[in-house]
Amino acid sequence: MSDEEHHFESKADAGASKTYPQQAGTIRKNGYIVIKNRPCKVVEVSTSKTGKHGHAKCHFVGIDIFTGKKLEDIVPSSHNCDVPHVNRTDYQLIDISEDGFVSLLTESGGTKDDLRLPTDENLLSQLVLISIWVKQIKDGFAEGKDLVVSVMSSMGEEQICALKDIGPK
Amino acid sequence: MQGFTATSTPDLAELQSTMRAIEHACTSIQMHLNPGASEAVILSLGQSSQPYKTCQFILENSLVATARFQAAAAIREAAIREWGCLSADDKRGLISFCLCYVMQHASSPDGFVQAKVSSVAAQLMKRGWLEFAPAEKDALFYQVNQAILGNHGIDVQFAGIKFLESLVSEFSPSTSSAMGLPREFHEQCRRSLEQDNLKTFYRWTQEAALSVTNRIIESDSVVPEVKVCTAALDLMLQILNWDFHSNTSDTKINVNVFSAGVRQDGDSPKRSECHLVQPGSDWRDVLLLNSHVGWLLSLYAALRLKFSCEGYWLDCPIAVSARKLVVQFCSLVGAVFLSDDGKMHEQHLMQLLSGMIEWVDPPDVVSKAIENGKSDSEMLDGCRALLAIANVTTPYAFDRLLKSMRPIGTLTFLSILMSEVIKVLMTSNTEEETWSWEARDVLLDTWTAILTPINTINVNALLPSEGIQAAANLFGFIVECELRLASATAFNDEGDSDHLHASVSAMDERLSCYALIARASIDVTIPLLTRVFSERVARLDQGRDIIDLTETLEELYSLLLIIGHVIADEGEGEIPLVPNTIQTQFVVNDVEADKHPVIFLSSSIIKFAEQCLSPEMRASVFSPRLMESIIWFLARWSRTYLMSSDGIGEKIIDSGHHHEHSSKKALLCFFGEHNQGKLVLDIILRICLTTLASYPGEKDLQGLTCFQLLHSLVEQKHICVHLVTLNSWHELATAFSTEKGLLLLDTAHQRSLAQTLVRSASGIRNSEVSSQYVRNLMGPITSYIVEISSKNNFKSIAQQPDIILSVSCLLERLRGAASASEPRTQKAIYELGFSVMNPILVLLEVYKHESAVVYLLLKFVVDWVDGQITYLEAQETAAVVSFCMRLLQLYSSHNIGKISLSLSSSLLSEAKTDKYRDLRALLQLLSSLCSKDMIDFSSDSIEAQGTNISQVVYFGLHMITPLISMDLLKYPKLCHDYFSLLSHMLEVYPETFAQLNSDAFAHILGTLDFGLHHQDADVVSKCLRALQALASYHYKESGNGNIGLGAHTVALKDSNGNVQEGLLSRFLRSLLKLLLFEDYSLDLISVAADALLPLILCEQSLYQRLGNELIERQANSTLRSRLANALHNLTSANQLSSSLDRINYQRFRKNLNSFLVEVRGFLRTM
Repeated sequence: MSDEEHHFESKADAGASKTYPQQAGTIRKNGYIVIKNRPCKVVEVSTSKTGKHGHAKCHFVGIDIFTGKKLEDIVPSSHNCDVPHVNRTDYQLIDISEDGFVSLLTESGGTKDDLRLPTDENLLSQLVLISIWVKQIKDGFAEGKDLVVSVMSSMGEEQICALKDIGPK
Repeated sequence: MQGFTATSTPDLAELQSTMRAIEHACTSIQMHLNPGASEAVILSLGQSSQPYKTCQFILENSLVATARFQAAAAIREAAIREWGCLSADDKRGLISFCLCYVMQHASSPDGFVQAKVSSVAAQLMKRGWLEFAPAEKDALFYQVNQAILGNHGIDVQFAGIKFLESLVSEFSPSTSSAMGLPREFHEQCRRSLEQDNLKTFYRWTQEAALSVTNRIIESDSVVPEVKVCTAALDLMLQILNWDFHSNTSDTKINVNVFSAGVRQDGDSPKRSECHLVQPGSDWRDVLLLNSHVGWLLSLYAALRLKFSCEGYWLDCPIAVSARKLVVQFCSLVGAVFLSDDGKMHEQHLMQLLSGMIEWVDPPDVVSKAIENGKSDSEMLDGCRALLAIANVTTPYAFDRLLKSMRPIGTLTFLSILMSEVIKVLMTSNTEEETWSWEARDVLLDTWTAILTPINTINVNALLPSEGIQAAANLFGFIVECELRLASATAFNDEGDSDHLHASVSAMDERLSCYALIARASIDVTIPLLTRVFSERVARLDQGRDIIDLTETLEELYSLLLIIGHVIADEGEGEIPLVPNTIQTQFVVNDVEADKHPVIFLSSSIIKFAEQCLSPEMRASVFSPRLMESIIWFLARWSRTYLMSSDGIGEKIIDSGHHHEHSSKKALLCFFGEHNQGKLVLDIILRICLTTLASYPGEKDLQGLTCFQLLHSLVEQKHICVHLVTLNSWHELATAFSTEKGLLLLDTAHQRSLAQTLVRSASGIRNSEVSSQYVRNLMGPITSYIVEISSKNNFKSIAQQPDIILSVSCLLERLRGAASASEPRTQKAIYELGFSVMNPILVLLEVYKHESAVVYLLLKFVVDWVDGQITYLEAQETAAVVSFCMRLLQLYSSHNIGKISLSLSSSLLSEAKTDKYRDLRALLQLLSSLCSKDMIDFSSDSIEAQGTNISQVVYFGLHMITPLISMDLLKYPKLCHDYFSLLSHMLEVYPETFAQLNSDAFAHILGTLDFGLHHQDADVVSKCLRALQALASYHYKESGNGNIGLGAHTVALKDSNGNVQEGLLSRFLRSLLKLLLFEDYSLDLISVAADALLPLILCEQSLYQRLGNELIERQANSTLRSRLANALHNLTSANQLSSSLDRINYQRFRKNLNSFLVEVRGFLRTM
């Protein structure tokens, strides 16, 4: 096989490429991978062979970083996989509305109002979990704490992924 | 529900109502009605005070079997607890009640109740064993003896034997029940029973068995006596299983290992699994002189004839027990035999062998019968008996045993038997464990037992020539079968479980056993292996690109594993020697060294392996799996043979054993540094380069290359010296530091490669040159990191996958290099780490959300600091310490108060695991810093630069403890690390602890309290040691007029107006509570005593108050005075003084032990 198609030189424009090719054998647990066109975090990698004297292949179990769904894929070790570009940006939290939408302060001084706390109405247990988050956030917010929201973006989607209290205002 | 009230003589109505309550609870538990409440009712019976009358009433009157069972259990529980308060009559009364009960109800149908009562009797008897006078014991045993003699009928006889069985198992340390007493008690009981009673029990059992034997043999159907006989056989087996102590010392003196034909050595690792029965000379009359074995064999022979009768079959209990006893007798050894050069022992074994040989002979007939449905148990027991015999005899004596009854020796028979077993195994070839599988393992163990001395003794001295021939035949057959198996399974796709690592370690034991067999006839087996190997290679050459070679590849794979095991040992971390037989069995002259069979075989394998360097051959022949076996073989082979002639060879010539070692000398010279050594090393390195560069994505193969082959080459100094002079090594180093290709390796492999390459610097003689080598090697890597982290747009490109990949790879390499630090390269590695200190902090900031990168960063720092800290000069230490503190601060500021949000619960738990790993790494970092105060090779004191390690570490702990939640402490390793560090800090630097601010102080105390109640005894003992350190520090300091822990020991009012106790009072209270009322491991008592003593000394008045409270709470006046006495003794017995020296600690340990034995029982009564 050849590595010709590898992009080792990073492109000048950071946002240009949504995914990068990378040899399957180099993708490790805790890394990222695109499975069925979804950005996933790898939670399990195992290798096996195609027949005893064949070549190695990797078996990936990934979890969609946005939906939490489990996806699997098998790729020959020496072939390339797509790896998503996952970016995280911190914003200061300005306000939070009843329906879970948040208002964030961008670096340039504007506001960003199109995100809400992650919810999945289909799963009751997660609803409970989320209501706890909302409460934590609102409590913290009400106590006058300064809160920073981390937003994860990849392949054209965005989601809030972490929340951090950086002390009183 | 309150406990059952226990007045001294409960009236009938009361007894009946309690009985009904218990019966009701037992029946409802069985029907799952309100189990919690029912369980409480049952438990309260045992926990109430003096429930004996009630229990006896239930046992005698209840019609519900489970209620009787629970009543027996309650007697046991209450009596063990209250033993100290019972009168001597009560104690004897309870035991004899239980015994009579068992005998009287011997024919009752609910066997489990009888068994329970019997075991209660046994346990109580043991509890009182050391206090009863001999006459009292005799009286109790008289009853048992009468029962066993059969005077009261079969059922009672059976009950008597069963009672002895539970008694013996109670007294045997591994099966005894806990009684809350120190270990010495159990040990004394064991010794006493062994000396005074065990043999008597055996004789009674023998008599019982003899008395029923005729009835069994004469009758054609099952008679009740069979039950008695089976129980007797079981009890004999149990007694022979006893771990005899009193006689083991004199056996060693009486037996002459070499002349007696009986051996005592323990050089086989397997030997420990085989239990040797060594009862000592006074057992001779019982076991050997009264034709006991003859009786056993004829009993079994009679049983064999009955297997066709109804009620008997091959696996009926009496047959199973008899066979087990026969096998056990094979293990009999030691002074029980006369010291007559082993004649008596040999006679004994011959008798046993003549009895059991029919179970396995003739092998083909027996195995056919099993395949046709006969039970396999006789066959397996026969194999086990052979193993037992092999374990107690020398090979010569072993071989002789069979000759008196068969035309062949035992070794030849063993070889035939094993061939048969392997044949069956190959034809069935299933995954599940069949009889042939187990038989093969037992027989392999037998061969191991026979052949293990081959590693030290010349084979001709060890084995008779027939035995050598038998081994050769067997090995030939084994190779044939393994190859057949390989080609038959070549196309199996067994998925991921089938990579070399797993298969080698699974097969390893079996293969080393095969290797022993091969080495017994090495002059036949090496040519055999050579022939088979060249045949397969020729087949590859002819068939290449024409036919499918998979079967041949798989055969070669197996063959390489077998050859590797035969010609070289693993070494287990040491440099393995050339196997003894290879050293001694070949006679060669130096001129024709290349004709030496082992050299010829090794050379042909290396020549074959070398062909993988050609791309065409690689594509058509060298599959990844075949390469795995080649790499494995080269790693194993090179440890023994490559370049090891230096010194060793010359010494041998000097020592005069010229002829004996000429084979070894020829071997080592041939692959030595002045001969083919360098050439072979170069070939090996080129093969490594090929596997790393030309087998993309083959992680297993590359893992073997990095971790096994390269790693072991560099480990060996004499190879390393030549390694660094070879061009191929420099090609590897250059490829590593400047080319992109090796960035595609798995990151763990890159780390290992970096470590190996840096380590090889030890082979360079000049220290300046070796530092320069490390700089050249790692320079490009550090400059990449420095460069990229200082780019203006780094923040925006950092998240790109390709950048993350290269940063991770390079960090792993740095980590590998850091962990290879040695005194000579230490400076270079320090510079390497120093130059990336700032970039590391930049990376930590930029990748704060990328947990995988953060972990790599932390691990690099941990390994680097760990390798460097002891060598650093004061100024360097100051720089490293301040860097570590900045790192900790930065990490803590990123993570404190952070909540991860995700829709996936598994991603959330991953986030938690990441945190756990980070924190462990940080704790390790602090521990490494700590070690600077213990081991320091620098020239001046670090205090010169104003660095105080203890303050730094406390500061670090303060920073990371808020990140360690109670949830995270549930991870055992983290918990362990945390408490190790904490107890170390408190033990070594209590004065710094005293100066901490109140927040930090409170947090640490909180975790200490948590640790004290942890279920892991190790954690508890660490906390106890920390407490001891604190309290004794305070006691000593305040004795000298200093403040010690000062304000922390005084009670305070907190902001809400509640009184907060001082820390020592608080821990005195909780430690006492723990010791008296909670469950803990008995091993902790002495550590607890060491903590309790200084606490009591510091807080005497509180201790008095707590003691008085305890006494006043006790309602019963006898118990109250006992408690008062015990408390008094705790602090005054054994001339306890108020100093904290070693003797005083020891006295207090004793006091606490007896205090707890005295009072814990009744304090815990409801």
